[in-house]
Amino acid sequence: MNKLLKALRTGWEFFVLFHHGTFVDKNMAVVRKEAFDINDNLMLLLFGDYLGIPNPMSYYMLELLPYVADDLEPWERRMQNRKFIIAEKAAQYDFD
Amino acid sequence: MRHFTFFGGKGGTGKTSCAASYALSLAARGVRTLVVSTDPAHSLADAFDKPIGFQTAPLCPNLWGLEIDAEVEAKKYMKSIQDKMLDLVSAAIVDEIKRQIEIAYMSPGAEEAAIFDKFIELMEAVGRDYDAIVFDTAPTGHTLRLLTLPEILGAWIEHLIEKRRKAMDLMKMAARYDKPLAERIANDPIIQTLTARREKFALARKYLTDPEASIFYFVLNPEKLPILETARAVELLSRHGIAVGGVVVNKVIPADAGPFLEKKRLSQEGYLREIRGRFSSMTIIELPMLDDDIQGMVQLQRISAMMEGLDS
Repeated sequence: MNKLLKALRTGWEFFVLFHHGTFVDKNMAVVRKEAFDINDNLMLLLFGDYLGIPNPMSYYMLELLPYVADDLEPWERRMQNRKFIIAEKAAQYDFD
Repeated sequence: MRHFTFFGGKGGTGKTSCAASYALSLAARGVRTLVVSTDPAHSLADAFDKPIGFQTAPLCPNLWGLEIDAEVEAKKYMKSIQDKMLDLVSAAIVDEIKRQIEIAYMSPGAEEAAIFDKFIELMEAVGRDYDAIVFDTAPTGHTLRLLTLPEILGAWIEHLIEKRRKAMDLMKMAARYDKPLAERIANDPIIQTLTARREKFALARKYLTDPEASIFYFVLNPEKLPILETARAVELLSRHGIAVGGVVVNKVIPADAGPFLEKKRLSQEGYLREIRGRFSSMTIIELPMLDDDIQGMVQLQRISAMMEGLDS
């Protein structure tokens, strides 16, 4: 009996993860992408001066540096590589 | 007496002397007073003829002096950021970030922001260490920017928080099946830091726009340009909700000055009439032109009795 319960539970977990991976996560990827995009735009407002866009308040933004330091370099690369805005948008809606 | 008294005006009109002697008159009345210079080109120490630096220096009973040094404040600020960074990220990244900090330090506006930070810090100290703070500000343009900063930055930071919150909400939605991640998102340090910053600006704004807490006095000479500049500045400040209490007319030639200054005195009389007309709703104090420089305690005490008129 116990064995059966265990097997059922494992099966259910598999099912949940399968369902999540097949239907939910795919959709959530769009949401996540959107969140990352907003965040990248926010970074542009915070640290635009690193890309040559003057930011009058860059002094106050320094205190945020410790929290975004890890992402700073990849972000700079992403921003400098933004050549195909349309392709980027299309990818977001599965047109790639 | 208000908690915060500002003396502003065109360069060379005698702001420092007025601020110093007013602070002296407050101290003489038993009010624990701090007199602060926010002008990057300090002259407070010259007025008192005593050394004052970026650390509070006692000047006489109940009176302390301070000259804000933007460079020292900025260095302190950067040091605190670097220390925090060492706790959070790897050493390799810290080196890279140090370069970025240097850039921001050199950027325009950094000095202003550093002074403003110290300014807020001092405002928080009132009631605890001091009863009143007298600010000897920089010439008009610089000061107006400094005082209107919290309003502008407040709106801007609000926008940043909004954006970050939106991103965080979306991420939370996506992280529904990842409990630890969702928790980390809920306690986002970026939102917390921005909010703390916003609160500071809001506090400064609250103090500055409360006529019971702070008041602004303009120092001017009976000449054409200072009058025009003061009129413009008064209008701008009232548009930003900062109360202007009065004007101090400095260097008024006394009637018994002699024939050499007579012509100048007559033209001053015309300008004095204009001042009385333009600023009729405010307190107007006239200080005579003295035959000597105003320097040192004794000289300052001579005019500090006249400055008491600002509180009546």
